[in-house]
Amino acid sequence: MITQLIVNGLIAGAIYALVASGFSLIYSTCKFVHFAHGAVIAFSAYFLYFLFSMLGLNFGFSVVLAIIFASILGYGMNLIYKQFRKRKTSSVILLIASFALLIFVESLILILFGADVKTIGYIKIARGLEVFGAIITPLQIAIILISLVLLFLLFFFMKKTKIGKAMRAVSDNKDVAEVVGISSEKIYGYSFIIGSAIAGIAAILVGLEQNLEPMMGTNLMIKGFTGAIIGGIGSVSGAILGSFLLGFVENFGIWFLPSGYKDAIAFIILFIFLLFKPKGILGIKRSVEKE
Amino acid sequence: MIEAYLIHLIILIGIYLILAISLQLAMGFSGLLNLGHIAFYCIGAYVSALLALNGFPFWLCFLAAGILAMIFGFLLSIPTNKLKGDYLALATLGFSFVVYAIALNWASLTRGPLGLPGIPKPVLFGISFSDNFSFLVLTLVIALISFLIIKKIVSSPFGKALEATRDDELATRVLGKNTFKLKSMALAISAFFAGVAGSLYAHYITFIDPSSFTLLQLIPVLCIVIIGGLASLKGTAIATIILVLLPEPLRFIGFPSSIVGPARQIIYALILLLILIYRPKGFFGKVELE
Repeated sequence: MITQLIVNGLIAGAIYALVASGFSLIYSTCKFVHFAHGAVIAFSAYFLYFLFSMLGLNFGFSVVLAIIFASILGYGMNLIYKQFRKRKTSSVILLIASFALLIFVESLILILFGADVKTIGYIKIARGLEVFGAIITPLQIAIILISLVLLFLLFFFMKKTKIGKAMRAVSDNKDVAEVVGISSEKIYGYSFIIGSAIAGIAAILVGLEQNLEPMMGTNLMIKGFTGAIIGGIGSVSGAILGSFLLGFVENFGIWFLPSGYKDAIAFIILFIFLLFKPKGILGIKRSVEKE
Repeated sequence: MIEAYLIHLIILIGIYLILAISLQLAMGFSGLLNLGHIAFYCIGAYVSALLALNGFPFWLCFLAAGILAMIFGFLLSIPTNKLKGDYLALATLGFSFVVYAIALNWASLTRGPLGLPGIPKPVLFGISFSDNFSFLVLTLVIALISFLIIKKIVSSPFGKALEATRDDELATRVLGKNTFKLKSMALAISAFFAGVAGSLYAHYITFIDPSSFTLLQLIPVLCIVIIGGLASLKGTAIATIILVLLPEPLRFIGFPSSIVGPARQIIYALILLLILIYRPKGFFGKVELE
């Protein structure tokens, strides 16, 4: 039983970590809550469904297209946000705008695909393997492995590559970064492209593991930003840590509460952190009082 | 037929007006970016419906809806009092998710996703408001009273202190005002009216389920408040009328109802985006969101 809960926590945590790391990457450079990140996930999952299940394209090809689609969608949203940045609007207005974008995309999905639940159905339901008394399907093992590899790559990218370093510079101090010749607008664009590509991968994994429904983005987004806040918003590694923590707490929480309260558990944790440790476990930079 | 339809629209305008001016009190006048307003609406609707289904008279259900929502508003204000901007938005949003999850999962009380059918129409002083026209009168009277009360509040010294807190919390504290208390009261009063609106909604539709209280429902209200303009009651009233009526032509073009719903949301979301880009103060707004 305990091993099963640990495994379930790992699977949930892996997915949340993918959502949270993309979200947190965007937050760290652009400094606002990009709610519509959830919409990118939902729409990409539906796009995969459209290519693979409706058009019958090759699976690998559909996956690549879906990830590219996610990047383009994220970049497109960034172009909208750019209109706001030009006018120097506050982060609160951007937050409401991204909320509007989220609702916009979710409603669009409703119109295009309908309200009923969809399944991609690439992987036939496989018999779970038993590992230390816990049951885990091959897909779930793949989810955990893929997300770990991706998160490692992202970490490496942020630490070692030129763009990654520039991103951290902008996230640290935008004005100083501009003085040394880093274009912050360009970096925002990169953050959205990379963050959304990760969202696209998350979408594929979620789409294979669960059913698709139009509001799936909101739900994942809640988990993503709860993970990000627990770990320290604006710190990608913190977001990953927080997401795994959230995955575990949620799954162990079912011991005490019916499983329908999973979402509520996430928010109660969010509340506790906002109250007592708003900067999260690893976050150090931002003060709540100031912003 | 057309009359029944018009009456329905005006009742909706009345309910939305109460929701919007109460959110305006929190957001526009007190600067509290409350994205959990629908939670109070939800609490009001459920309290009123459950009491009414257990045979309590309407006036009691109605008041209890407001008061319980108010208590929750006050309780929410305690942990969120120090939070600002993004953080407050996330915390209040979180609150609305918790309330939604409870409405959905506490099946022994709320019947979960099945919802509560057969909520009785209100009866007040022996008069039954069972037909829509009399319900319209009731809604308009309540909306007007709510409007006047909130107008009175915002022009009172208390209201001015709220605006001062919004503009410069530190300075207001220097002047000896307890800004925590001010903000708590603002949120509690705002929640009271949202609860009242929820009660009206429950007794009008006579059926409620958790899906009536999701994030999607927040968009029209948020849209009204921002388009009307922060801290402007006149703007809110005008925006309520326009925005409730705006998506209605969709019905006549002949779209199926499964499309009309999401299309409404799309229209609201687009308007909200455009107004935030080109006129973030709204049409009658006095302050900008910060």
